[in-house]
Amino acid sequence: MIFVAAYAIIGAVFAVAFLIGGVNRLDPAAKASGLAFRVIVFPGCVALWPLLAVKWLRGEVIK
Amino acid sequence: MSVQYQAVQWNPQKKAYDLTLLACVVLYLGLFVGVGAVIHPNATAETLLIRGLGTGAFLLLHVILSIGPLCRLDTRFLPLLYNRRHLGVTMFLLALAHGAFSLIQFHALGNVNPLESLFTSNTRYDSLAQFPFQQLGFFALLILFLMAATSHDFWLRILGAQVWKRLHMIVYAVYALLLAHVSLGALQSEKSLLLALVMGAGLVVICGLHVAAALHEQPVDSPRGAGEEFVAVARFDSIPDKRAIVITLGNERVAVFRHDNKVSALSNVCRHQGGPLGEGRIVDGCITCPWHGYQYLPGTGASPPPFTEKVATFATKVVDGQVYVCPRAKS
Repeated sequence: MIFVAAYAIIGAVFAVAFLIGGVNRLDPAAKASGLAFRVIVFPGCVALWPLLAVKWLRGEVIK
Repeated sequence: MSVQYQAVQWNPQKKAYDLTLLACVVLYLGLFVGVGAVIHPNATAETLLIRGLGTGAFLLLHVILSIGPLCRLDTRFLPLLYNRRHLGVTMFLLALAHGAFSLIQFHALGNVNPLESLFTSNTRYDSLAQFPFQQLGFFALLILFLMAATSHDFWLRILGAQVWKRLHMIVYAVYALLLAHVSLGALQSEKSLLLALVMGAGLVVICGLHVAAALHEQPVDSPRGAGEEFVAVARFDSIPDKRAIVITLGNERVAVFRHDNKVSALSNVCRHQGGPLGEGRIVDGCITCPWHGYQYLPGTGASPPPFTEKVATFATKVVDGQVYVCPRAKS
């Protein structure tokens, strides 16, 4: 339970940071996308934050 | 096709689709609770709502699982496919409400954390009548959350089409979990056979549709062209203008389009969400996917600028009215 809670909290914090800055670098199509898009993908970012963190750290760009 | 993401790409058809869906959900819940209150006067409103949400979600899952094979059997069902993800997200929300209310009703207001109570209050894994069926529902809900959370096009690009599709095919595991959840849960306390018969009928329909679709697609899936340089696929005149036929070369489905008195062959799989390009048509000189309108130039398989999607193309030739396609994609 503690592990799940920790995962979710870290995920939420990461997702906020990622959706403010990282997502634009990872996927250029997100640059001009608005707040509603970021709200929609927020839950997925919380759930899959390790995958996104690796891609962000590696400086990957989705073409 | 877009160079920026929107939360939902609304259009009049999508709005009508979603409004109809919402009306059906509200109507179903209203009828279920209303009729339930008459048939079971001792049942509380919370209990009826929990059952309504659960049965509504399960019913919607049957609709979702039927759409794919129905579209294979009859293309008139395709409009249901275009917004199937909206059905999926709605199903998740109904299941979430069912799970949340159930957790509160059966595990809250005690001195143990409700989620902890869910997993520790009943550990009778050796009993069918007393099996901790709620845990099965929890795991199904977890998978549904992952699918709903990744239903946007953004995740299709982040995960890649193959991983994304495999993730969303786990819906069949969800179906199995929910069959067990209901069989080991609500069915155990049902005196009437009606629920069991309805569930059995649902399973027969789902399995039957999938088998029928597989049999229907078998001729297209028969691979051709192993070891040959060019494979004869059809007479030129048999392909409708600005339309395609679909064949299988090796492991891949290939769409062979006829246009401007020549033919072009390209992968049948749209780069967007795997839609069947061969069921589309050529509009304004571009092959247009019937699912979401993604377009590709027939000669190169590339999307028109500024879009960058590209599908594999195959060399073709027409000799004496016979169309030949090379089984190996152009590099």
